Amino acid sequence: MPYLTRHIIAWERVAALGRGTTPRACGAVVTFVGVVRPDDDGGRTVVALDYEAYDAMAEDQIDRLVTEAQDRWPLDAVELEHRVGPVEVGQISVVIVVAAQHRADAYAASMFLMDEIKRVVPIWKHTRYDDGTSEWAMCASAMDPLGAMHAHV
Amino acid sequence: MIVRIKLFAWLRDAAGTEECRMELCPGASGLDAKAALTDRYARLRGVVDHVRLAVNREYRSWESPLADGDELSLIPPVSGG
Repeated sequence: MPYLTRHIIAWERVAALGRGTTPRACGAVVTFVGVVRPDDDGGRTVVALDYEAYDAMAEDQIDRLVTEAQDRWPLDAVELEHRVGPVEVGQISVVIVVAAQHRADAYAASMFLMDEIKRVVPIWKHTRYDDGTSEWAMCASAMDPLGAMHAHV
Repeated sequence: MIVRIKLFAWLRDAAGTEECRMELCPGASGLDAKAALTDRYARLRGVVDHVRLAVNREYRSWESPLADGDELSLIPPVSGG
């Protein structure tokens, strides 16, 4: 299954993803759901976010992150979907479901996946405001994806 | 050698194109490709400083040597989630 979807992610879909991680008993299923907020950090009113992705590379990068999470923590299953295209305020932009025997591992892996998505996966949001204007979001949390391996100026 | 360069988000908007081809000297690096790109698209001058390079869908340093047929992607700071 691809990680990126152009379809609205309904709450029923979130439940289905959660259910899909538990073919057998696992002690903890952590579900993170990202929802588009009406306010941006600059005090303007947001109507929608238009997500753009470099699809092929984003799929590769997310796949690598899921594999890395599975290597770092003892996980039973990971399900992940990220929206591309227009996402209105109140709609779901991303879902991460992590199943493990113990909650600490599931929480840690969920945090890791979301943090890394925001850091390295080539997805960009274009914000539409209620006054008719729109602009690309400039995310300060997007650090160097090569990490400390290479010193960039 | 010829490389393909893909542009995304505000970089694409600034350049007015989402993809272009560049002829580079053999042994050229990502830095050479960036210089050729800003020569062709003046509006990219000064704005590509915080942009990352990916070669064939993998992040690479700008100093990385390129090969004929490489697909370069200029990745502006990402904002998923």
